[in-house]
Amino acid sequence: MNPNDQAPSGSDVSSQETAKVAPETTESGPSYLTVTKTFASWALTLDHKRIGLMYLVGVLGMFFLGGVFALLVRTELFSPMPLITPLFAADPGAQADLYNQWFTTHGAIMVFLVIIPGVPAALGNFVLPLLLGAKDVAFPRLNLSSFYLWICGAAFFIYVLFSGGVDTGWTFYTPYSTDTSTAVIPAVVGVFILGFSSIFTGLNFIVTIHKMRPKGMTWFNMPLFLWGTYSTAVIQVLATPVLGITLLLLILERTLGIGIFDPQNGGDPVLYQHFFWFYSHPAVYIMIIPAMGVISEIIAVHSHKRIFGYRYIGYSSVAIAIFSFIVWGHHMFTSGQSTVMNIIFSGITFSVGIPSAIKVFNWIATMYKGSLSLNTTMLYGIAFIFLFTIGGLTGLFLGVLSIDTHLHDTYFVVAHFHYVMMGSALIAFIGGLHHWWPKMTGKMFNEFWGRIACALVFIGFNLTFIPQFVMGSLGMPRRYYTYQDKFEIYHQLSTVGAYVMAVGFFMTAFYLLQSLASGKKAPSNPWGGNSLEWHTPSPPPLENFHGVPSATDPYELDHFDYDPVTGNYSSRTTAGSA
Amino acid sequence: MMHFFNPLLSHWATQTGPSFWLPAPVSNFADTVDGDFYFVYWVSIFFLVLITALLVIFMMKFKAPEGQKATSQNDHNLILEVAWTGIPVILSFMMFWYGYKGYVAMATAPSNAMTVTAEASRWLWNFTYPTNGAVVPGASEDFNEIRMGIRDGSLTPEAAAEREAKVLEKAGLHVPVNTPVRIKVMASDVLHSLFIPAFRVKKDCVPGRIGELWFEATEPGVYDLLCTEYCGQGHSLMHSKVVVHESQESFEKWLEVAASYDETLPFEQLGEIVWKRKGCVSCHSLDGSNKVGPTWQGAFGSLRQYTENGVAGSTTVDEAYIEESIRYPMKKIADGYPGQMPVVKLTDKEILWVTEFIKSLGK
Repeated sequence: MNPNDQAPSGSDVSSQETAKVAPETTESGPSYLTVTKTFASWALTLDHKRIGLMYLVGVLGMFFLGGVFALLVRTELFSPMPLITPLFAADPGAQADLYNQWFTTHGAIMVFLVIIPGVPAALGNFVLPLLLGAKDVAFPRLNLSSFYLWICGAAFFIYVLFSGGVDTGWTFYTPYSTDTSTAVIPAVVGVFILGFSSIFTGLNFIVTIHKMRPKGMTWFNMPLFLWGTYSTAVIQVLATPVLGITLLLLILERTLGIGIFDPQNGGDPVLYQHFFWFYSHPAVYIMIIPAMGVISEIIAVHSHKRIFGYRYIGYSSVAIAIFSFIVWGHHMFTSGQSTVMNIIFSGITFSVGIPSAIKVFNWIATMYKGSLSLNTTMLYGIAFIFLFTIGGLTGLFLGVLSIDTHLHDTYFVVAHFHYVMMGSALIAFIGGLHHWWPKMTGKMFNEFWGRIACALVFIGFNLTFIPQFVMGSLGMPRRYYTYQDKFEIYHQLSTVGAYVMAVGFFMTAFYLLQSLASGKKAPSNPWGGNSLEWHTPSPPPLENFHGVPSATDPYELDHFDYDPVTGNYSSRTTAGSA
Repeated sequence: MMHFFNPLLSHWATQTGPSFWLPAPVSNFADTVDGDFYFVYWVSIFFLVLITALLVIFMMKFKAPEGQKATSQNDHNLILEVAWTGIPVILSFMMFWYGYKGYVAMATAPSNAMTVTAEASRWLWNFTYPTNGAVVPGASEDFNEIRMGIRDGSLTPEAAAEREAKVLEKAGLHVPVNTPVRIKVMASDVLHSLFIPAFRVKKDCVPGRIGELWFEATEPGVYDLLCTEYCGQGHSLMHSKVVVHESQESFEKWLEVAASYDETLPFEQLGEIVWKRKGCVSCHSLDGSNKVGPTWQGAFGSLRQYTENGVAGSTTVDEAYIEESIRYPMKKIADGYPGQMPVVKLTDKEILWVTEFIKSLGK
């Protein structure tokens, strides 16, 4: 099939014109990193790249913090007896409370401060306008304000840490959250503020993608990352307000005693679960859809081959976004929701699996007969496909009503959503970070240590969570501070895996920081990508491009010559087609 | 649609001990749930192996140095797209269907099922047997002590088993084998969830609602009963045991013993047990709050306005008034209350204990 069939006829993008890519300039004017140097020039910047970078630093900092709590939890669970909590509290009850605060803090930080903003706000902010050949997002001031809202939300979480923690689980289920004496309100206010940060980013991206595509870029020759961020943005704007309202109601219930969710005051706890999951299930897709977009870029570029089934991948993102709104009830199969509701939600839940499967098969087909560069980035891409496959397939168990009755609220669920949230969304975030690292920083990282670290993370991850599947289906409930002796071996394997993973992540932090200091200078196009960000210097100038770029076919990846000296892919046809 | 793959999976589903993945199957649902589990399991294993094999083969076969051109730029194949859309659609519909069939069976208890009420509160279980009103505790504390004893070596396995048997004489959820049992689940404070892994059943205990699950245990023995909805500090210690009796007779014998009173206890303590067992608890509070009936706090000796056959009257709450109110609950209706108290048959002893209990709650 002619590749142009992917781009609808009527578009002015022909293969001749797509070859005439954006002006590639080697002149080295100041980059966005060096153009101004004052603190205020960063703190008050309206440049999407600087905002993206600041988000990145913040998100990675919070990832470290959330990771520390994960290690505390895993260390404690190495034994069913109190292990490290006695170091912090003398009373056995207080020790259990402490553990409950740890897993709550881990979950809340990772979900609200790391994974949700990770790909869209950190990577998306940096890359999205570049992919569009634009100078910035549509509303740069709104963009900066969403970053400061994120900082503000993060500050509330830090405050919670120092004011006795919160022990409700990241889900804030009522009536426990109405009842507990821990710092629920500051945590909930933090999440509320973060919600606005997320809405602003989503709004910005929707308008930017609608209004700022370059001449010649139709919806069907946008890079797939944009399909991903667009679908995500729609969910962010439509679903997040529901969470905001729910949390406000929770605050009203706690402060004024208005009976909304607490049955003692005439409320209904299951109503809270409906409200909460009406947002939080789509939120799962806020995390995974942009990650899938990253993977579409990584797999195609590092296979040096056209993405397979462009339209199927694009449409499947939209399909997942739509289905994501009508499956929330599958979190309540055992909560006493009516049988008919359960059956309906189970049926719809399976419909989400189909577009996910389509994506996986298309990525694999993209690799077929490609020219695979098995560098760190690509290894993360391939790791994603494997881990996401496990995450998706184990989701099938939980969608089946009869099996879910047994597996609900066990470690099987914990392992399943970690495969999706961490093994998929976070691995894609780390993969995307490597993919665009040369573009963001102008430096190449150390490939050798990159691959070692990726292998450690991959092995550690599987070692952490495969035993959790087994103990979960054997009947180990989640959120347990202590457990029956028969589960000890699984918990110990899991804890060892967590430490292996931690070593991998520390290694990653180390070689990435080292690259900033002494990394090789990055060429403008180190991987051979053809989307617009690879047609401007690394790091890009403040205005992104010298001149006005016109659309390229982002997946026309075979017209480059590789220069082993500079490590750059330069467009062969630019010179030839004149 | 039938479980046509059942022969293939039967050796998994019919095994008796715990398998690598699942606990021992000891209820009428275990075979169905395990069959569904292994259907999804083998489909998943097939796709995982397929995808992993393709990834590994492609990584080895198409690995290339930087700058080498891909040998194909083909980006489309309609037949493949239809295949990898269609096959998952069919398979996931089958999964949905089996899950739905299995679940519907679990959702509806047969009408002849024996009913037991399980009430969860932080962090203990109470099981009530309506046939004789026996309220049996979950005894989480005892089971935790036994567990710790085994761990630190202070209890030998034999001593632990003996102690457990002793505890179970008056604790735990007891059911006869091969008998449909309906468990009504409730919670008095926050969310809890009743989970019996060996039976493959689970239901959230939601305050303000009555949930329901049912099962038919197929194998006599002692099994774990756990809380699976996070409920705070003692969540992970909130467990109990299910005892499946080998016959209806042995179950009834146990129930009789469990329902008997330990008459060495002080009267007011026995009265509190009666208050719980006979259901006074659901209408009469001890903390001064008014429910369907008047609170018992400070009731004794207080002045009560009532209506008898439409005529207003008043009396001091004393032994005689309490006994009259229990034996003939609709005779004198306390003002401000709907007068809905049923006739609860109490023995003379039980009335005496309840009276002493009310007395102990102050004036």
